[in-house]
Amino acid sequence: MSVTFTFLDWLWVGLFLLLMVGSGILFYRLGKRSESDFFLAGRGLPWWLPASSVYATHTATDTPMWITGVIYKNGMAGIWYTFFCGWAAISAFVSTRIFRRSLAYTQAEWNVVRFTGLGSELLRGWMAGWQFFMNMFVLGWVGIAMGRVCEYLFAWPTWIGLIVFSLVCAIYVLAAGYWGVVMADFQQGVIAFLVIIIVSVWGIHTAGGPNGILEKLEILGELDRINPFAFTGWWSGDFPIAWFITMMLIAFLGGFGMGTTIDWYVEAQRIQSAKTVRDASYSIWWGTILGLVRNSVWAVAILAFFVLFPGITEQSEYEMGWFRLGFDYLPAGMLGFFFAAILAIHLSTISSHLNLGALYATRDLYQHYVNPQASQKRLVQVGRISTGILLLGSFFYGLIMEDITSWLIFALWIMAAGIWLPNILQVVWWRFNAWGYLSSWIANLGFSWLVVWILPELNLIPHLLDYQQFWILMILGAMVYFPVTLLTKSEPMDHLVHYYVMSRPIGWWGPVRKEAMRRGLILVSGETTLGAEEASRPADTYPNTP
Amino acid sequence: MIRRRWSAIEADEWTKEDWIAILLSPLCYVLITIGAALAILLQVSGYIMLAVGIAMTVFLHLVIDPKLKAISNEYETRQQDYLRELEAKVRWESIDQKAS
Repeated sequence: MSVTFTFLDWLWVGLFLLLMVGSGILFYRLGKRSESDFFLAGRGLPWWLPASSVYATHTATDTPMWITGVIYKNGMAGIWYTFFCGWAAISAFVSTRIFRRSLAYTQAEWNVVRFTGLGSELLRGWMAGWQFFMNMFVLGWVGIAMGRVCEYLFAWPTWIGLIVFSLVCAIYVLAAGYWGVVMADFQQGVIAFLVIIIVSVWGIHTAGGPNGILEKLEILGELDRINPFAFTGWWSGDFPIAWFITMMLIAFLGGFGMGTTIDWYVEAQRIQSAKTVRDASYSIWWGTILGLVRNSVWAVAILAFFVLFPGITEQSEYEMGWFRLGFDYLPAGMLGFFFAAILAIHLSTISSHLNLGALYATRDLYQHYVNPQASQKRLVQVGRISTGILLLGSFFYGLIMEDITSWLIFALWIMAAGIWLPNILQVVWWRFNAWGYLSSWIANLGFSWLVVWILPELNLIPHLLDYQQFWILMILGAMVYFPVTLLTKSEPMDHLVHYYVMSRPIGWWGPVRKEAMRRGLILVSGETTLGAEEASRPADTYPNTP
Repeated sequence: MIRRRWSAIEADEWTKEDWIAILLSPLCYVLITIGAALAILLQVSGYIMLAVGIAMTVFLHLVIDPKLKAISNEYETRQQDYLRELEAKVRWESIDQKAS
């Protein structure tokens, strides 16, 4: 398909890009003030700004393709796939609160707040390097999705869509850092949400409205598609109940931990940019529910697309369904507005990952390991250089993405499966230590290769379904990190007490809590509260445990 | 029934209000998401789920908001000291060095 734009269409696109670049120029002075401003907007944002950023960042160019794919294939039951972000429901009131109190810039830095010694430094270095790499990867992935959209619409070569719009985005990220990201995200979030509603309602109307969709589904013998609980049995088929339960458990209980999905690393930055603990909680809760409501609207629009174009078997074709609703049916003059919204969706994701990847490179790698005494001016400069490196790297990854997609899926899988439980244990269990956590990452890397690729290729085990892989990797990993944890020393009590008083974690912290109370650092109700000076006294000045 | 006033010490503890939020919050997500989709398709079950989801969300915030406010107010008084420690840590300085 090739779309022809009128002058009005290009005007919409031009105005939108001007607005985004304008954000960068407008907030340039704020962004360059310090590392905290360039990466966390000075930790002073009211909840609705990071919430809009949560929503906008997780509405990427490939999101409508992916959601269209699962709804077109599975009907309304496919909406459960979109609950991978459900971790935010519990996290908003548990791990978000704990993480915000730690004040760590990144999840990598959190490792040295929660743990101590060599193990914590190894974790910080590993996680920072991994996240720099992952952000570059995601940028390439999302960038090439934009390239494909432009190829689909205008018959441009894919590299044009990949490079041009990422470069425009880089202008305001380089200029204003996170200030630019979050201010642009707010505008992009509003524009994207409005257009998603408009295009979806337009598509539903074209298909005959809700009643028309139901009638056509009945005629097609596909009325079961509106049933969100249309499973294919307990254990088998495309959508078994076992997979549903696994998904829901992973998604919701993951909220007790940190890093249980790759989205956490993005949200961690939003959490720390909120001005209070309360603002952090609401930013995560409301940003995520907005995304879920968006999915609801999309799901119905895709059912409309299904009744308009039933029987498409080619995944790459039906995945473009929502885009087709817009470009095939919107009136002239609105196409440019629709494309501007697609750009909004795209830019919000690109900007977030550019700034986030640069944060890990600057804070955790450069400042901590290369130049600890760097001035604020120097740190902002390094942030900008890192942003540039990420941008160039993403072009490289984007252009070779076809060859590495299976590797990428594997890489994402190892972020989720075997370390899901350790990511929770590090928050809720005082005895879990840096060596246990580090061993869980290493074990998971090895077991994932074996279970997902090597053993099935050698016909030593059958190719397993996703949920089977998840449980097996979790059990195998536990056989490594539990013994490692229990056979190595716990973190020093001084460090744990200090962490406990600062973060007040949930879960099994009995011995640490008892020690903190013995030292008079936390009080039970009825006693006088502590002064800030005493409560924040550094760990190494606490009296030792007798 | 809903506790509106919290002292700093009480708010720092994990209490039944937190567990109410932890239990209700996933239900709110599910009910609002599925309810909204089915409501757009004019299904009665969708209207009911959406209405229950919204009511539950209001209740959830009534329960947890006073506590979150108290936690935030209490924590703000300590935040600057913790930030100084964090900066010292990233620069490999001991806390005493930083203070001097």
